[in-house]
Amino acid sequence: MTAALNDEQEVDATLRAVLRDVLGLPEAQVAALDESSPLFGALPEFDSMAVAGLLTELEERLGILIEDHEVDADMLESFGSLLTFARSKTLQ
Amino acid sequence: MSDSGLHYTHYRAGGRDEWMMRIGSGPALLFLPPLFEEMNRTRALLASVMRRLAAEGFRSFLPDLPGTGESERALEEVSWRDWLDSAASAGESAGAVASVSLRGGALLDGAAPARWRFAPANGASLARDLARAGLMTEGGGGYAPSQALLDGLAEAEPEAGGTVRTVRLSTDRAEADLKLEGPPLWRRAEPQNSTELADAMASDITQWARSCGLC
Repeated sequence: MTAALNDEQEVDATLRAVLRDVLGLPEAQVAALDESSPLFGALPEFDSMAVAGLLTELEERLGILIEDHEVDADMLESFGSLLTFARSKTLQ
Repeated sequence: MSDSGLHYTHYRAGGRDEWMMRIGSGPALLFLPPLFEEMNRTRALLASVMRRLAAEGFRSFLPDLPGTGESERALEEVSWRDWLDSAASAGESAGAVASVSLRGGALLDGAAPARWRFAPANGASLARDLARAGLMTEGGGGYAPSQALLDGLAEAEPEAGGTVRTVRLSTDRAEADLKLEGPPLWRRAEPQNSTELADAMASDITQWARSCGLC
């Protein structure tokens, strides 16, 4: 596994790219997400299968390992909560 | 002009006939699809790549692994060993000079004389994916693999050594001989295709197969 990322902007960009690629969202919609944008339960594309794919893609692209007990509705609630989680795993 | 028609043919695995889709004529390539749900999501992509390779003078085979597609066996009764053996048997029936695998298909290409891999995944990561999808969807999605299959999968790694070319998406941070732009179609809940990605894959397979003297 390659070394973890160490730049906040890079984590932000990676998370947006994963949302675009996994959910098949248009570029403009992904670019417009801000910290308060709701995700799980708010986007029809974001179903439970997509959550599994999202987590694995994040692991592969950020070089992190996400434990099942770390995954819950709060962490997936908004773009901001997911970003906070990804940064906390990545920037240690 | 080569025969670009689509045909279905059999191969033997575990004492039974299983199906293979065949497109084109020329040197034979064995396609090994991704596993489980990812297989359905990428079938259109693989068929597109096979058609492009037919135009370049290759004969491509895409087997249904036991317990998947048109197979009459139940997935619950299939072991990891069965899949390894059936991939080898399909390659032999096809007379394949090389394999072309996607994602978890790379875990089954050990018997092929030369191996082209796109976004190869290790078994542990795929097993974790399955477990997660199962946790979050009641009933675990469309597939119910046996514990024996899952155990074998979790320990499987793409076989090193021999003639191997590894290609990945540009968004993947792992090492590769070549990186291509494109979406990870195996993640999409709705099966989709990408003309650009199919073009790029077929073009690299063609160059690789010719440069290493496979045809």
